[in-house]
Amino acid sequence: MKKKKLEEINRNIYDIKNKDEYEFKIQKGLTREIIEEISKQKNEPEWMRDFRLKALDVYNSLDLPTWGPDLSELDMNEIATYVRPKSKLNSSWEDVPEDIKNTFDKLGIPEAEKTSLAGVGAQYDSEVVYHSMKEELIKQGVIYTDMETAVREYPDLVRIHFMKCVPVNDHKFVALHGAVWSGGSFVYVPKGVKVDIPLQSYFRLNSPESGQFEHTLIIVDEGASLHFIEGCSAPKYNKVNLHAGCVELFVKDNAYLRYSTIENWSKNMLNLNTKKALVGKNAKVDWVSGSFGSKISMLYPMSILNGEGAKTEFTGISLAGTGQNLDNGFKVVHNAKNTSSVVNSKSISKNGGKCTYRSLVRINENAKNSKSSVSCESLMLDDISISDTIPVNDIRTDDVEFSHEAKIGKISDKAIFYLMSRGLTEEDAKAMIVRGFAYPISKELPVEYAVEMNNLINLELEGAIG
Amino acid sequence: MIKLNETPVRTARNFNINNIKIEDISLKNMLKDFENIEVMLPEEVEVENAISNFELKYGMNEEKINEVKENANHTLKLKIAGKVKEQVEIVANFDDENVNLIQNIEIIAQENSKANIVLKYKSEDDTVNYKNSIIRIKAEKNANINIVVVNLLNTSSTNLLSIENEIDEGAVLNYIGVDFGGKNSITNYYSKLNGNEAKNNIDVIYLGKDEQLFDLNYIGELRGEKTQIEIEAQGALKDRSKKHFKGTIDFKKGCKKAKGNENEFCMLLSDNAKSIALPMLLCSEEDVEGNHSSATGKVGNKELFYIMSRGFEYKEAMKLLVRARFNKILEKIKDEELKNEILEEINERLN
Repeated sequence: MKKKKLEEINRNIYDIKNKDEYEFKIQKGLTREIIEEISKQKNEPEWMRDFRLKALDVYNSLDLPTWGPDLSELDMNEIATYVRPKSKLNSSWEDVPEDIKNTFDKLGIPEAEKTSLAGVGAQYDSEVVYHSMKEELIKQGVIYTDMETAVREYPDLVRIHFMKCVPVNDHKFVALHGAVWSGGSFVYVPKGVKVDIPLQSYFRLNSPESGQFEHTLIIVDEGASLHFIEGCSAPKYNKVNLHAGCVELFVKDNAYLRYSTIENWSKNMLNLNTKKALVGKNAKVDWVSGSFGSKISMLYPMSILNGEGAKTEFTGISLAGTGQNLDNGFKVVHNAKNTSSVVNSKSISKNGGKCTYRSLVRINENAKNSKSSVSCESLMLDDISISDTIPVNDIRTDDVEFSHEAKIGKISDKAIFYLMSRGLTEEDAKAMIVRGFAYPISKELPVEYAVEMNNLINLELEGAIG
Repeated sequence: MIKLNETPVRTARNFNINNIKIEDISLKNMLKDFENIEVMLPEEVEVENAISNFELKYGMNEEKINEVKENANHTLKLKIAGKVKEQVEIVANFDDENVNLIQNIEIIAQENSKANIVLKYKSEDDTVNYKNSIIRIKAEKNANINIVVVNLLNTSSTNLLSIENEIDEGAVLNYIGVDFGGKNSITNYYSKLNGNEAKNNIDVIYLGKDEQLFDLNYIGELRGEKTQIEIEAQGALKDRSKKHFKGTIDFKKGCKKAKGNENEFCMLLSDNAKSIALPMLLCSEEDVEGNHSSATGKVGNKELFYIMSRGFEYKEAMKLLVRARFNKILEKIKDEELKNEILEEINERLN
C-alpha cells in the first residue's frame, strides 16, 4: 500500500508552480533578431551584443553530439530563451515580489543566508532578483554580484575572463549559451583573502517552455580561498525546458576553490550545462556534485591543471529514476608537472532510470610526476534500470601513476540480511544501505545541504525499493 | 584514410577513441595465393568445405569484412568432435612471396568437445605484409576450447583481426592473444555468451616499439544466467608506440548472477609512448557483479633498483620486469615451443 501511495508523490516544495507572470518574455525561437532583442532588453555594451551574434553563428555551424542521450526532442523553436521576471534586482528580501519571495522561502534560501552563508544570489527565470553579501567581505574587496552588474561595473575584469575558460566553440550548447546567456553570478576574491563561509547562488526556472542560461564566473586570486554553492530547481511541466548554463572558474596560483552543486531540476528539463576550471600553480579546485533532477543531463565538469603542483578532486553522485537519463561525469587534463587528481563517483539507477558515468583523464607529455586515481561505483536497484560506465584514460607520458577502478552491482543480500536480523524492515535496510553508499558524497557537503541531499534520496527511494 | 574498429557505444569525438583511422590499403589487384601456410589437424578434426554465410555484429568495418567474404586466399571450416588430444595448428609465415593474407576461418566445437588451437602469424623478413582475417567460433554446449592467436609480424605490416564467438550453455572458451607485430595492429573481438553458465577468459599481451599502433577492442556480451567473462590485458610500450585498449563488458537484461571482470595494465617504457584505455561497463541487469580496473605507469624504480643491485644492466632489468608481467598470461600457453618463441621475441623486440 505504502509503495503505491508513494509512487504518486510529488516533489513537494520543488514542484510548486507560480503563475507564469513576467515583465517580458521573448518570442520562442532562435534568430539574429531575437538575439539582438535580448541584448537590447538587457541594455548591454556593443561588444557583448557582437559576441552574442558571433556565438549564434557558431551554434548554427555545429552539429548535435553523435554520442550520449538522444536530444531530438529539443526544438529551439519551442523555447523562449529570455524571460524577465516582474522584479528588479534587490538587496533586501522584503523588496522581492511576494510570490517569488515565497518560492525562495520554501526552498529555505533566506533562512540559510541568515544561518550559514556569507552571501546569496537568487535567480528567477532569466534574471537575478536578489543579491547580497556580508559587509565584512565587501570591505575585504570581495565582489559577489549578478553577471549583468559585473559586465557594467567591472568591464575590464569581465572582458578578459568571459568565455575564455570555456571557449564559445567548445560544443553546440556552449555556443547557444554564448548567444542567449542571462543572469548568473560573478565572484572575485582578491589576493590572499580567505572567505571561510560559503557563498550560494540559487537558480529557479518557473516559466514553462523556456530556458535558463545563467553564466557563473568566479576568479579566486592568488592565495585566496572560497566555497561556492550552486543550487537549482524548477517545477515540472509537460513540455521540455532547457538549461544550458556555463560555469567558468579561474583558480589562480596557491588559491583554493570548492564548488558544490545540488541539482534538482524538474523531470522535464534538459540539463546541458558546461563547467570548467583553470587551475594555477599549487592551486586546488574541488568539485562536489549531486545530480537528482532533469529528464536528460549531460554534465561533465572539467579541471585543467595548468600550474605546477595543481590539484583537483571530484566527488559526485547521480540518482536516476523513471524517465531520467543522467549522463554525467568528469574531465581532467594534467598540463603541468606534479599535478594530481582524485575522482570518486557514485550512481544509483532505479525504476527504469539510466545513469552513465562518462569521463576523461588526460595526462599530457609535460605533466611529469603526476598522479591520478579514479573510482566509480554504480548501484542497480532493479532489473529495468540501466547503468553504464564509459571512462577514457589518455596517458601521454611515462612518469605517472594512474589507476582507475569501477564496480557495478546490486545491494548485497548479505548486508540486507544482516540489517534485517537487527530488526530493520527490508525497505529500511535497503534505504540505509543506499544512504551509506551516498555518504562519501554527502559528508563533503555543508550540513544543511547534506540533510537536503539525504531528504532527496529518501524521497526518490520511497516507492522505488521494497 | 579508413575508419575501423568502432566501439559498441560512442563517446565524445575529441576523446579520440570511438574508432581508429589508418591509411587504407586496397589489395584486390595485388592479391596472390598465400602458400606458406601450414595447417596441422589431428584426426578428430573434420574439415568442411562451405563456410557459412555470416553477418558480423562488429568486425573491422563493412568494407574489410566484405574483403574477407569475397577475396579470401585462405579459408578453413573446422568441425571439432570429442576430446582432441593433439593441438590444432595454423601457421602462416610471411615473406616476399607470401605478402598478403586474407583469411576466413570458422570453427564449430560440437557439444562436449575439447581442443587446443594455435594460430600463428610471423614475418620472415622486412617485406610489408597485410593480413586481414576473420575467425568465428561456435562453442556448443559444454565444449571447452583453448585458442591462442600469436601475431609476430614485423613492425611495418598491417594486422587486422576480427573474432566473433558464440558460447552456449556450460561451454568455456579460453582465448590468449599475443600481439607484438604490425605497424598497425587492430583487433576486434566480440563474444556473445548466450548459454547459462557460459564462460570466456580473455588474456592479452601486447608489446609496442618504434611507431607501432595497437587498437584493441574487446567486447563481451553476457546474455545467459551465471555467465562469466574475465578480461586480463598486460602491455608494454617503448619508443613512440601507442595503444588504444577498449574493453567492454555488456550485461544484457536476463543475465542474472553474471560476473564480469576486466583488468588492464600498461607499462610505459618511454616518455614518448602513449596509452589510451576505455574500460566500459554497460549494465541492464540488476543481479550482476561487474568490475574493471586499469592502470598505467612506468617501470617501478624500486623494482629496477632491486634487480640492478643483483648485477643486471638497466635494459636486462627492464626486460625481466616486462617478462614478469607477461608471464602470468604466458604460463597459460601449453605449447612449450611456442612459449619459448614468444619469450625470444620479447627479448628481441625490447633490444
